[in-house]
Amino acid sequence: MKEECRRDFERISEYLDGELSEDLCRQIEDHLRRCPQCRECVDSLRKSIELCKKAVYEEMGRDARERLRAALRDCFASDRS
Amino acid sequence: MNEMTDVTADPTDHHLIDQFKAGSMEAMEKIVGRYEDRIFTFGLKMCGHLQDAEDIAQETFLNAFRYLKDFREETKLKNWLFMIAARACIRKRRKKKCEPDHEISLDSFVQEDGSAGRYEIPDWSDDPSDNVIRAELKRIIDAAIQTLPQKYKLVFNLRDMEGFSTKETAEILGISAQAVKTRLHRARLFLREEISKRYKEGRSR
Repeated sequence: MKEECRRDFERISEYLDGELSEDLCRQIEDHLRRCPQCRECVDSLRKSIELCKKAVYEEMGRDARERLRAALRDCFASDRS
Repeated sequence: MNEMTDVTADPTDHHLIDQFKAGSMEAMEKIVGRYEDRIFTFGLKMCGHLQDAEDIAQETFLNAFRYLKDFREETKLKNWLFMIAARACIRKRRKKKCEPDHEISLDSFVQEDGSAGRYEIPDWSDDPSDNVIRAELKRIIDAAIQTLPQKYKLVFNLRDMEGFSTKETAEILGISAQAVKTRLHRARLFLREEISKRYKEGRSR
């Protein structure tokens, strides 16, 4: 891996998260314009992050919700009556 | 200097905390209702099992309400709950006597030809008629997340799944912002490889 590719490979996430200075972003974007391999690397990482975010949500079942409330009532209701 | 000075309490949480401190059980249930799915999701993404996720949610809220009377709102309630949940996940894993975490090195993602590799990442469809495809993709993603070593999984789940900032994640886990950035980047590279591999295997079956 070329030095420039390696340098940017280490900071793609910070680049995608907008955590780098303008100067560094410009430096990376200059490199990406010239390097199709790194461009592909950034694109597939971005796509993979977005895919994970789409699949995040889980919902607690109704029985689990009720068990949680029952455990909390057992623990705290007596302190408060 | 107090690093928490920029914290603004959520007004609804602030009100509910006051009511709970004054003895309201209803306020307690409202707090649970606001955060139970998020904490449960986090527990499930961390542990991979429904029962473990339910245990994490119970432990988190039991501990939170036990100590809520001393909670000074120097941090947001949501962040504080995730701090308790993260500790519960770490304790649960310790009890199971799992293998120690292995480190993920950046070099492991550099291919033999010196490139960063090519990865085929599927698209997520927002079309409800693609339910079966989405369920299969979700299975692939969840299985890939489960293969992450715990310290990377904690950071990934807080940053990318729960949307906490780098600074908030560092505070929740008690690690430096630099450690959050390093672990997140390696976790993402690891997941890209796992998802691509599992997706390809699924298609060739």
